[in-house]
Order: sequence, then C-alpha cells, then structure tokens
Amino acid sequence: MKTIVVASGKGGAGKTSFAASLMAWLHGQGIQAVAADADVDAANLGLALKAGVPVERRTYIAGDAREVRAEACTGCGSCAAVCRFDAISLAAGVARIDPFSCERCGACADVCPTGAVRSVPAHAGELLRSPVAYGEALAHGELVPGEDASGKLVRQVRESAARIAGPAGLVVVDAPPGIGCPAMAAISGADLLVVLMEAGASGIRDAARLLDNAAIAKVPAVAVLNKAGLSPERDREARDLARDRALDVLGRIPFDAAFRRAAERGGTWLDSGSPGTVEAVSEACAAVAARAGLVPAISAAGATPERTLP
Amino acid sequence: MDNRTGFAPLRVAVASGKGGTGKTSLAVALALSASASVRVRLVDLDVEAPDSLAYLPDAVASGERRTVEIAVPAVDRDACDSCGLCARACRFGAILVLPGVTQIDTNLCKGCGRCVRVCPRKALTERPVEAGSVQSYEHGSLSVIEGRLRPGDVRVTAVIDGALSAASGIPADLEIRDCPPGATCPLTRSLRGADYAVLVAEPSAYSAHDLVAAARVVREMGIPGGIVVNKAGASSPELDAAIAGSGLVPLGSVPFDADLAREGADAKPWRMDGPAGPAVRAVLDALKALEASRRTA
Repeated sequence: MKTIVVASGKGGAGKTSFAASLMAWLHGQGIQAVAADADVDAANLGLALKAGVPVERRTYIAGDAREVRAEACTGCGSCAAVCRFDAISLAAGVARIDPFSCERCGACADVCPTGAVRSVPAHAGELLRSPVAYGEALAHGELVPGEDASGKLVRQVRESAARIAGPAGLVVVDAPPGIGCPAMAAISGADLLVVLMEAGASGIRDAARLLDNAAIAKVPAVAVLNKAGLSPERDREARDLARDRALDVLGRIPFDAAFRRAAERGGTWLDSGSPGTVEAVSEACAAVAARAGLVPAISAAGATPERTLP
Repeated sequence: MDNRTGFAPLRVAVASGKGGTGKTSLAVALALSASASVRVRLVDLDVEAPDSLAYLPDAVASGERRTVEIAVPAVDRDACDSCGLCARACRFGAILVLPGVTQIDTNLCKGCGRCVRVCPRKALTERPVEAGSVQSYEHGSLSVIEGRLRPGDVRVTAVIDGALSAASGIPADLEIRDCPPGATCPLTRSLRGADYAVLVAEPSAYSAHDLVAAARVVREMGIPGGIVVNKAGASSPELDAAIAGSGLVPLGSVPFDADLAREGADAKPWRMDGPAGPAVRAVLDALKALEASRRTA
C-alpha cells in the first residue's frame, strides 16, 4: 500500500482542496484511492469529495474521564494538589474537575482518600467510513468539540483507510495544520509528503517549521506552491525554502479570485471552472502521481514545471 | 478600556475553527489599534505555527527566552525490578516494561507524575525536558508574548500554559490571544480564563463547518463571544446558518479584497483606514462595552 500525505504547517494553505483535487484527478485516470481525513479537528475533506451518508460508524473512546461524586467528597483537596494540569478546583468544599483541562491521567483517583473520584469512559467521537464521488471511500473521524485531538484518533483513521485500501491500494491523507501530535501522526510513515506551501510570509514560516522536524525530514517530500503570484518576493522565498530543503517544486497554483469563490462552494479545484487553475492543479496532480510511481512520468511531470502568470 | 489599576486585564481570545481564516490578522490589528490608548499584551498561542510576529517585524525581544519544561520520569535500573506498575499506571502509553527492561518514551509523556507515585521501589525520578519556549517582545507600547513548540515535540498544551503564565506577568489592560485553529484541546487550553472570544470565519462551506464546532466549545466553556466574517462578499448559506446557530453575536465583516490578500501575503497588518478598519473598530467597541459592564458589575 502507498500513502501520500498532504500537509502544510499553516492552516488554510489549501491542504484539503489539494488532497481532494488529487483524489479527483486520480479518479479521472481510473485510479481509485482511499481518502483519510486526518484533520479530525476541522474535518472538511468529506465536503470536498461530496461524501455520502456514512456506511460504517464506530465509537471512539479516548480513555477514562473522571468525575467527582459530590456526596463522597470531603473537600480535602488532595486531588487538586496532585493534578499537574490545574484541572481541579474546590468550590463550596467539593472538588470539581474541569473536563476541558483534564488529561485523564487518573492521578486524582489514586490519591482520593474516600474513593469519590470515579472513572467514566470518555466518548470522544466516532470513526466513520463514507462513500465519495471521487475514489473508493473516505475514512474520517468526528470528534466531540473540545475533545483531545490526539494522534491516537489520527492513527485510527489512517489504519481504517489502510484496511479499506488493502495491500495494493493507495491512501491520500489530508493532514491537520501545525507540527504537534496530530500532524506527526498523520505524516509519519508516508511514502510521499506533499508540502503545500502558501506563498505568503506566514505560509513560508510554517512550512519551514514543519520541515525543521527531524522525523519529517526522513519522509520523501515534494512541494506544491499555492496562492502564488500575490507577491514576487514571497514566491521567490517559497522556492528558496524548497531548494534549501531539497524539495522539488512539482506545481505552482496561482492565487485566483474567481477560483477562490468557486472553491467556497466546496468541491475540488478541478471543479472550479477557472481554466488557468484547473490546468495548474492538473499538472501538479500529474507530477505528484508520477513521483509516487502511480502513473508514468510524462515530459514535464517530475521535473519542475515552471508556469508564469499571464 | 481606560487605564485602570486593580483590575485584571480584559482577556480576549481570537479563534476560528478553520485555519487560515484571518485570526492572526485580526488579533494583530486589534492589538495595534488598542495599544494607542491602553496597555496591551498580544499572546501568540498558536504555538505550532506562531505567526503574529511576522506582522510586527520591528518587534524587539525583551528578556531571556524561557523554556517550557515538563517533568518526565527516568529509571534507576538498579532499583527497578520490572514489576510493571508504572506501565499500567501510564495513560499515555509512554512506558514499556519487559523483564529486565523498562523503557520510557519521553516524547509521549505528559508529565502527570503518576508512574513516580506508584513505583514501590522508588526507581523513578523526574527530570525536566523542554517542550517549547516563550519569548517576550516589545513593539512600541505593545507587548508580544510568543509561545513556540519545540520542533519534534507534541506537548502543545504545556507550551500554551507556559505562554499564558509568562503573559500574566506583564502588566496590561487588555490581553489579546491569537489562538490555534481547531476545536479541540489546544483551543480549550487557549480559551481558559478568557472573558470574550472572537471567532473569525469566511464564507465557505469548510469554514462554516468548523465554526459550528468552535462556537460550541466557546458556548460550553461559558464564554461570551462574537463573530467576524473575513473575505466577505460571496453569499454562503452554510455560513449564515452556522452564525445563526452559533449563539454568538455577529460583530462585523472584512470584505474580500485583492489588495488585502496581497498585503496579507507580505504580512502587512490591517490598516484602520483600509477595508478591515470598520470590522476592527466594531470589535473594539464591543470590547469597550464589555469592559464598561465589567467595571460597573
């Protein structure tokens, strides 16, 4: 099985749109991939791929939450003293655990002298499998807002996608923004990492931070520039960063107001109806697919297709 | 927000759900504008991708960079008898015990200290490891506190706590928090103690979807809040529905504008006399009203 991961560091760089476009482009080539939405915090890949009603749902339990039985609590404060996450406060002589701050380590239950802290399974969300318009299926997760978007759920989404794809299949992963636990869980073990680099000051900083990560440095990676052409200086900086980190730039998607409005409706960039964008996105998808060994490399693909804005 | 003494600063969290909607642009504009009249500290809590300083290239570092440390266990191999109680106590899967070998993956450890307490042979001791760092800056009268996750580390919430704690030591009348995207634990950590939340959305199905989740977190945490629509222009029934169902107050909108997009690529702060000015002013007015009601309360 092959895994292509689309990541960026920065949010809003176009990860989801590119991942969906790649799925649609592959679909057009007769390659049915399985999409994995690892951005469980802001799971939008289903919107872009026109996902249908889930055909499979599994409950996702994130460890044990803790509750204080008020009638058994003496207000001694032992639990608050042992909590390293500042999640427990005493109000009117009774301990209260703030579920948003609790890391579910269980230390409070260990030290409570009256056994007033009890465990309850934390229903953190659901693991889903849904049919999509482009590709074999979408594996995704739905988290209860405020839950811990641990790498654990991301790993489960990826495992679920891998099971659907089978040994000979292909998985396209839409990674969460950032460089923390969920992002690392989404990227580790990828066969090809596509760094979607927004050609703006913030996008370049965040892509650099992503690539600073030693674990990520081991993954074969390429770059695709997005929102290019807004600032010649930023375009140059983005290319410099790619060169410094030895990433081939396999695509350059121009900033395009008309296309942006089309993308607001959901759907992929290939549906945008903006000819320049469709061409640039198709070329980027072809080059990425060639680099991943999915299609034969054609003339420009796999090199550094240079496109200048009209 | 007149100069006050004896009051805690008004703490305002700028968040969104979806990334790239304009959180940092709004947070920086609010901080710059308010700093003309009151003491403001801007806290960058998007510790995985802190970008507010990109908009403030003239900011000067003040004081030392402080490391954010958490206490992780180390094993005394002579004292350990591989009983495995520590591994059973660890909820983060950070400890593996095999006969004669106790392995600790310090990257997975959240520093809860439970393993140390359950060890009957006192074979575990804690030592600090760096999860990230916090650095303060000055930009004119504006203080900026930036939290930064150490590349390779995943303990985001510890760094957020560290940045908030460092910020609390800097006197201010107004605290603006540039929050991480998403609607899970990094966001809830960033919202702790906030008096008000401003959610930034854009007219797209994606943003609408993520706004619903972020608004729900804000509501469940009991924080009052409002919404600013960025890149406005296209009608988005999804966003309209999300705003209507959010329980939050629509505060204003920033029109989609090609020049603003270009300036954004160069990380130029929103100008008060530009297209974003009215929305920034509307948020500041809402904050002034909130502050007035706090003072009379």
